[in-house]
Amino acid sequence: MPSMEEYAKQPRDARIQRLTRTADELAAAVKGQSDAVLSRRPDEKNWAAKEVVCHLRDAEEGFTTRFEQILAMDVDPKLAGPSADRMAEERQYLRNDAAEALAAFRKRRQETVAFFGTLIPAQWDKGAIHPVRGRITLDGFLTLMAWHDDNHLDQLTRALQGRA
Amino acid sequence: MDFYEWVRHLSWVRHLTIHGMPFSYYARLNRAQQAVYRKSDEITEVRLAQPAVLHPAVAALGTALATEDRAQVQRATERLIRGLTETLGVPPVQVEVLAARPHAKWGELHGLYTVERGKTPKIQLWMRTAKQRRVVAFRTYLRTLLHEVGHHLDYALLRLRDSFHTEGFYKRESSLFHQLVAERRAPGSSVEAWFHRPPDERLAHIAATPDEVAHALEGRSARALARRPAAAAWAPVEVVCHLRDAEETFGERFAAILSMDEPVLPEVGPADRWAAERQYLRHDAATALAHFRRRRGESLETLVAASPVDWQRGGEHRTRGRLTIDMLVAIMAWHDDNHLEQLTRALEGRS
Repeated sequence: MPSMEEYAKQPRDARIQRLTRTADELAAAVKGQSDAVLSRRPDEKNWAAKEVVCHLRDAEEGFTTRFEQILAMDVDPKLAGPSADRMAEERQYLRNDAAEALAAFRKRRQETVAFFGTLIPAQWDKGAIHPVRGRITLDGFLTLMAWHDDNHLDQLTRALQGRA
Repeated sequence: MDFYEWVRHLSWVRHLTIHGMPFSYYARLNRAQQAVYRKSDEITEVRLAQPAVLHPAVAALGTALATEDRAQVQRATERLIRGLTETLGVPPVQVEVLAARPHAKWGELHGLYTVERGKTPKIQLWMRTAKQRRVVAFRTYLRTLLHEVGHHLDYALLRLRDSFHTEGFYKRESSLFHQLVAERRAPGSSVEAWFHRPPDERLAHIAATPDEVAHALEGRSARALARRPAAAAWAPVEVVCHLRDAEETFGERFAAILSMDEPVLPEVGPADRWAAERQYLRHDAATALAHFRRRRGESLETLVAASPVDWQRGGEHRTRGRLTIDMLVAIMAWHDDNHLEQLTRALEGRS
């Protein structure tokens, strides 16, 4: 699994290609798994497989919302801190249907890839201030998303095996 | 120990507020007491000269209850009661907020007003239910508070020799309540109308919404809450989930406006897409309400802490133009009304 630094060195197209594969990879991983298995947390704190899928769906919306803000502003917007666990609790991920969540993620991801396709070179350098990571450009976000996908696919595989 | 034994045990107790207990004092009163009763019954309201002055204290009480912290509720309760006694020009009263309500077969004790010769009168209020130890709903707590203040006013303001639970007494309690809490406007009230109402009134209004939603959902089955009145109209549970997620967005907008100089406020949703993607129909309504309540409490904390200058700070919204915090609070009040109305319709099977 490439690190963030390794992804950053990859051509933009390769990183975008990585994003286009994720929905299928998720579908392959959850195929044939019962709702009970998809809903099983490996331990009290770690997410079940379906929570990982829901997280990717909602994170995708979060990413594109921020991208629109970055493009619309003359200065770098300040982003809020991460709240993934709170979202999992509040949006009741464990009650979701994993297949529906995956379909929604697939659609959001297609929109993200289409959005990246519309960017002109100067726009890739526009950015935002992340509370933990500091300034991130849109190009940096593409890197982050590629790594984020890998990270959560790995987490999902572990969850299906009952590992935290 | 039954109720009456308990009352005798607390021989110094003058007035008890036991919800659900019938009051049939009149026939058992002597003639002098009956005269006091009739006088109490004739007075149906207590007017506050400038109720809006007390609205921040009411909003702060809602916020304090949302934190579930007894010390904060104590301070907020003292502030409101002191405001009431000062506004009405009556002597102060001692205030004590306690945790779980005492209870027995007869019910739960919500509040208590006691007077002892030579001592400052005292109001005691319990902020948690007896068995489940849940924090009492804001409107219920405020009603109890005003009820106990009502006993104090009977002696200190109306100069009655006793304080009975008459119809007039309850009307006075209600008159105070309605001056302190902005009631829901008829559906169709516009954002502009809300914008022209004082900020304190808007805050009090939005502080009451979680309780109103709770009241609307009370006793409904999960099946009824997930029933859409028409194919394209939301079920009750979807309305609650929408309020919860919209509150998250309001919170993000406040944070963006307060941390940046005129930020762009990104478009979110649309709401129907959220309902479908986040699978609102599968959610548990009570849990969604609890999370909406928590988010609303956080919004109120932010808004109460923000200065008047902060309230005029704003951001640019693509379709609505510049939105200040002041305007967003008006939008919240309107949005609450709109969706409470939708919730009521959905519960009645109307789209």
